[in-house]
Amino acid sequence: MNEFNENDIGKLLRLKRHEQPPPGYFDNFLHEFHRRQRDELLREPVWRICLQRAQDFMFRLNVPVLTSYPAAITAVLICAAVISLKVYQGPGGMNVAVQSQTPVVATAAQDAAWSLSAPVATSDLSPKLLRNVNYSSHTHRAATPPRYVLDSTPVSYEAAFRF
Amino acid sequence: MEQPRSDEDKQLVSRTQAGDASAFDELVVKYTPRLYGLVYNMTSNHEDTNDLLQDVFSKAYKSIGGFRGKSSFYTWIHSIAVNMTLNFLKKRGRRFHLSLDDMDASVQNDKEFLELTATSSPVREADLSELQRRLNEAMMKLSDEHRAVVTMFHIQGMPHAEISKILRVSEGTVRSRLFYANRQLQNYLDEFRKNPVS
Repeated sequence: MNEFNENDIGKLLRLKRHEQPPPGYFDNFLHEFHRRQRDELLREPVWRICLQRAQDFMFRLNVPVLTSYPAAITAVLICAAVISLKVYQGPGGMNVAVQSQTPVVATAAQDAAWSLSAPVATSDLSPKLLRNVNYSSHTHRAATPPRYVLDSTPVSYEAAFRF
Repeated sequence: MEQPRSDEDKQLVSRTQAGDASAFDELVVKYTPRLYGLVYNMTSNHEDTNDLLQDVFSKAYKSIGGFRGKSSFYTWIHSIAVNMTLNFLKKRGRRFHLSLDDMDASVQNDKEFLELTATSSPVREADLSELQRRLNEAMMKLSDEHRAVVTMFHIQGMPHAEISKILRVSEGTVRSRLFYANRQLQNYLDEFRKNPVS
């Protein structure tokens, strides 16, 4: 009794090409495909259809490649903006803010000395004056009493008990 | 089984990508019989094959916008079909029922059929339809990956290189899977020939 060799197996397997679906199957396959596509579209929510259309559009235009450079530049700009904000709000930031406000305060303090003959008081912005303004603002805060003072003994409006 | 012309496929793919749905219909009509054979011999069930094929073409239609033509459409659609079928078989597990139909009457005129029945004594000894039934059972005893290779090589007639592209494995892996699967099938069929009642 001979044994099956590899060639026999191959030939037997190739005969399986003759195993066919029911007659008319291939003719109806495309109609069935269209029907399922329509059913699928009806079942899908609108947002998903829109998302798929957008994805198809992006694939067709190759948008990811086109947008890579602008996207990279935008990312760099955002990073730069965030870093500069961090630096600006650092420990030295308060001094910068005070100094930028001082000219306004200085001109206000010098209202009395302001005259039409010298409309722009450039001489008022001297360091000496800045020191005086700063000093006066500190002393003003120290001199004004606090607005709210807690009493040492609790206040009660109820009548005292008497036995 | 010869490969379809890839330049014709390229045109149809370009037209589909440009929004011409009828071009995709042409691809469906062209590839359905070929993919049917592939999926059917992996699942051994007509209903499953039909559902899977519908899903394969649906998926292909949805993702054809991203098809850049690095491989041929033939390889691409076969990859989708094989991967989806393997995933389906993993989910289905070992639960299956054979619905393989009897062979078409055209097999009587097949050159290999005539050769087999005329020259090969083990085939001549056994009833051919019973042998086919046993072969189908033996196929289902193979692992899904081995069955995929056997189907593509022996039944679909694909070369090793094409199978390796579709499965994304080396040609050596394809050859070794084929060797192992052939040995397994041989053992199953020899066992049947020795004990035909079992």
